[in-house]
Amino acid sequence: MNLNDPAVFKEWQEFLESLGVTNFQANERQQIDTTLGMYNERGNLVATGSVAGNVLKYIGVCNKFSTQGSHFNSIVSALMNLLAQRGVFHLFVFTKVKYTTSFQHVGFHELARTDLGVILETGDTGVTDYVHRVAQAAAKQNLATASKVGAIVMNANPFTRGHRYLVERAARENDLVYVFVVNDDVSLFTTTERLALVKAGTADLTNVVVVSGDQYMVSYVTFPAYFLPTQDDAIRYQTTLDARLFRDQIASALHITTRYLGSEPFSRTTGIYNQVLQTELPPTVTVKVIDRQTSGDNVITATQVRRALADNALATVRNWVPTTTYQFMQQNLTTLQARIQEGMNINGN
Amino acid sequence: MEIKKTAIAGTLESSDIQLMISQADSGIAIDLQSDVKKVFGDQIEAVITTTLNEMGVTSAKVKAVDKGALDCVIKARTIAAVQRAAETTATPAWEVL
Repeated sequence: MNLNDPAVFKEWQEFLESLGVTNFQANERQQIDTTLGMYNERGNLVATGSVAGNVLKYIGVCNKFSTQGSHFNSIVSALMNLLAQRGVFHLFVFTKVKYTTSFQHVGFHELARTDLGVILETGDTGVTDYVHRVAQAAAKQNLATASKVGAIVMNANPFTRGHRYLVERAARENDLVYVFVVNDDVSLFTTTERLALVKAGTADLTNVVVVSGDQYMVSYVTFPAYFLPTQDDAIRYQTTLDARLFRDQIASALHITTRYLGSEPFSRTTGIYNQVLQTELPPTVTVKVIDRQTSGDNVITATQVRRALADNALATVRNWVPTTTYQFMQQNLTTLQARIQEGMNINGN
Repeated sequence: MEIKKTAIAGTLESSDIQLMISQADSGIAIDLQSDVKKVFGDQIEAVITTTLNEMGVTSAKVKAVDKGALDCVIKARTIAAVQRAAETTATPAWEVL
């Protein structure tokens, strides 16, 4: 369906509204790559569904003149085949609680749920495979038998001494610490760069295992508000799902008992996220909020480091980052500055 | 036959089965979802396994969502998925049929 055609869009929106879908905000709609529609012999829309990357969205089905579930199965099947042609086999869906069984009937697996909605996944890989890979990474560092396990999730854009301080603290208090690096490539420093800098900056800490957070931690899939401007209630909803997914799928499988957070004086989104984590994770996972490290009178933040890059004043943040990060920024100064000039946002997360 | 990439065949419509085949380290692992799993689960898995064996696939991960498919359909979808996953769609495995 071509939603840019006003008539088609109107039909689509009215159809979904009749089924109780109400959020047609531009930032939700703009993410849509493709929309499919199914029409009956009289030309009426009877089912629709959209894809945004590897996430199914805006699925709506009218069962008035058909066997329960048949249109739903057709539309999900059509969307899956469409994504398969694009080489996407691992997909997610956010939906209302009442539709979770419909998705489970077509092979989806529920990852987390709140009163407002659930998140499910299906495909050639899943959270079980992910957890297995992470555990293997720990085993490679001979940490498979560690009994006290901590975790930190960070974007590290780029890795600063503030991050380092948090990791050191966790490493002192645990036998094994997993550092999950946010996987989405929407930051000034690319995912590969961020992951490499975290690894380089923690290489001397033998009980620290640095892995990608994949699509399960603070990703575009579970927590789009981290990357897009969003209202408070939506942030609260998304972070609750993210927190529960961490608690039920990741922490339990990897025996994580403590999650470390940096206190968040500046970012509203991260502030809400920290609050929600403190409500959702205990008692299964203890949450420890560590005050940010200061350098002189200033709190160390990656945002300041990025600003220094933009202002061509790298030397001012020399003491804020580990040598490995500093050297990387010196060597790649022009590339990084070019990215900022091309419009890469440096003030967000 | 070696599974080179993930591939999908079939649909979720009634009387069909959707099969997704991907690489695995060793052995054949089938994750079957079916409303008639209690009664026909073993039979469905047997058809998939036999077809994979006939095609010479020794290691694969299979995710199957069955909607009441007959054995011949299950076999056909398995062959299609394997050929796509092994990138051999240009040279059909006639002898398996």
